[in-house]
Amino acid sequence: MWCPPSWKVAGNLPKVPANLPGVDPENVTAAQQGDALALDRLLDELGPYVRRLCARIAPAAADDATQEALLAIFRGLPSLRAPEAIMTWVRSVTVRTAIRLARQHDPDVAAEGTPLDRYASSLEGLVDIDDVLARLPVSQRVVLVLRTRDGLTEQEIATALGIPAGTVKSRLHRARAAFREAWES
Amino acid sequence: MNDPMTPPGIDPIDRLAILAAALPGAVVRQRRIAAPFDAVWGVIADMEHATPRYEPGVARVRVIEQHGELLRLLVEDTAGREETMDARLRPGWCIMQSPTTVIAFAARRLGNETLLAHLEHRRVPTPMPRRSESHYRRAVSTKIDRELLAIEMIASQDTN
Repeated sequence: MWCPPSWKVAGNLPKVPANLPGVDPENVTAAQQGDALALDRLLDELGPYVRRLCARIAPAAADDATQEALLAIFRGLPSLRAPEAIMTWVRSVTVRTAIRLARQHDPDVAAEGTPLDRYASSLEGLVDIDDVLARLPVSQRVVLVLRTRDGLTEQEIATALGIPAGTVKSRLHRARAAFREAWES
Repeated sequence: MNDPMTPPGIDPIDRLAILAAALPGAVVRQRRIAAPFDAVWGVIADMEHATPRYEPGVARVRVIEQHGELLRLLVEDTAGREETMDARLRPGWCIMQSPTTVIAFAARRLGNETLLAHLEHRRVPTPMPRRSESHYRRAVSTKIDRELLAIEMIASQDTN
């Protein structure tokens, strides 16, 4: 069956590292060279992941964060040196964009060290884990999302956020305590 | 932990802005068209008949292969030159590419009207002085604006 050169069917995809679900490095290279159909396919592959991450880190600004992150990713695509490392780079750009938008849209929740107790009165109405996550300070929310939802190691989280691994460890500790307290209240 | 709902797809107009961000020099213009989405998109999707009516440089378009959303087109310009284009077409989103050119359309429903965006991009940039570059962008913007107006007229005629 004919299909455009850059439009590979799933069965033809080369083996990629485990951290590159569904992203074909050859397609990334074609996209970097200005192949619009490769860019279109890459957007299909990255869009849902970027959207999910933004919805968890910046639930009040998920649409804006998704668009801004994807714009930054596609604008910066030609400068990506290692196509096989695209997911690490995409994650980092997305997380940083989502954090910035979360802080703009929800400064009270976003404030560093904001005690979760402040929101205790509204916790009765929580329906699921995402609701609890949304009420954590952004700095705690993001490390918990990356650790529990994306399964990243502390070192990978540190790389994505550009902070020391020790800081990630202490934030995770505080985030888990705050989450547990909110969940059990 | 539970997963959130399946995330909604990216709006076509937003998608076009993202595509343009990756294509340096791409020109994008948009127009609020006084015709319903189905009528406007009917014009874009009818490549063989409608394209020569709004694109002054195109004499003929023929769909030579189609597999779902993916098409291969043979495009003949008014000078008689032929070029093959690969395309993807679905409601609200159309992207066409040859070795030298990228053309894309995106549409969003606005009640009984339609927001239509149109991108044009040269894949093989010709080095030119900054002044010529801005002149080129103005010329392409004017061309796209005329095409959007022509599409509005065709869509309105087809609706009436």
